[in-house]
Amino acid sequence: MSIDPRIQALFAQAEQVFDRDAFLHGVMRRIDRERQRSLLVGAALSIVMIAGLGLLAPPVITALEMATNLLPVSLVDIETRWLQLLLAPINSVAAAIAIGALAIVKFFRRILG
Amino acid sequence: MRYSTDFLGKSPESVLIGLARTGSRDAFAEIVSRRQNRVRNLMRRCCRDPALADDLSQQVFLQAWQSLRQLEDPNRFAAWLKRLAINLWLQHKRRNDPLRDADPHDPGDAVIEEQPAIALDLDRALATLADDVRLCIVLGYYERMTHAEIAAFTGLPLGTVKSHIRRGTKKLQQELAAYLDTDEEST
Repeated sequence: MSIDPRIQALFAQAEQVFDRDAFLHGVMRRIDRERQRSLLVGAALSIVMIAGLGLLAPPVITALEMATNLLPVSLVDIETRWLQLLLAPINSVAAAIAIGALAIVKFFRRILG
Repeated sequence: MRYSTDFLGKSPESVLIGLARTGSRDAFAEIVSRRQNRVRNLMRRCCRDPALADDLSQQVFLQAWQSLRQLEDPNRFAAWLKRLAINLWLQHKRRNDPLRDADPHDPGDAVIEEQPAIALDLDRALATLADDVRLCIVLGYYERMTHAEIAAFTGLPLGTVKSHIRRGTKKLQQELAAYLDTDEEST
């Protein structure tokens, strides 16, 4: 025994035809409400972002200036001009950070397979 | 852009879906008009409460509107909508919070038509079944889905679906004996 055709017939007979207008009105109202809510949330987020940018801009600019000044600084002072130029790509704070980051990525790749 | 009611009324569903995807509310309203009966009947068979069934049905269409762009094949809209409805019902059951999202001021929620006797008796009989059994029975008998399809839809093991349908059928045969006996006599 699986599906009883008599019960299946009862399901078909019990199928109702509903008044669609009130239901449709309800659905469209919900869609409008949801759209308004999304707009409000978007507007609120934009205001927060603009305010945040306004507050954070000076310290961020200062940090960027410091980073710009710090990154090219040599790690080791080399007197010889040609050796200084040759080692320039790896003899800086920026190079040390880049090599460190690469090493960390490689380390995690090896651990995680 | 607005489209005439006549144009929308005559358009095939795949065209309406394409228009609704571009943001046409009128096209989506036409889809709701065409599909609301099926979804509401499905929800009524799943829920014990007609108001909750209509509330959930409205949520189904709201979700459909919001995620219409995710529908890859417009020709599979009916199956996709059914999946949304069943997922929403399963989520609702998990939350076990019957009228959390119901809005008592929403006229769409408040208008509950009188049910015919056969629908009332069927819903009463279905209400005696456990939630999972009822869902399997409704999908099997109303949506005419196979056991394998029900298992895929609900995430229940196939064996469980079969036993739910068997147990549910037996219970419905007892509860609806008056209707079934009449059928037998008349044939």
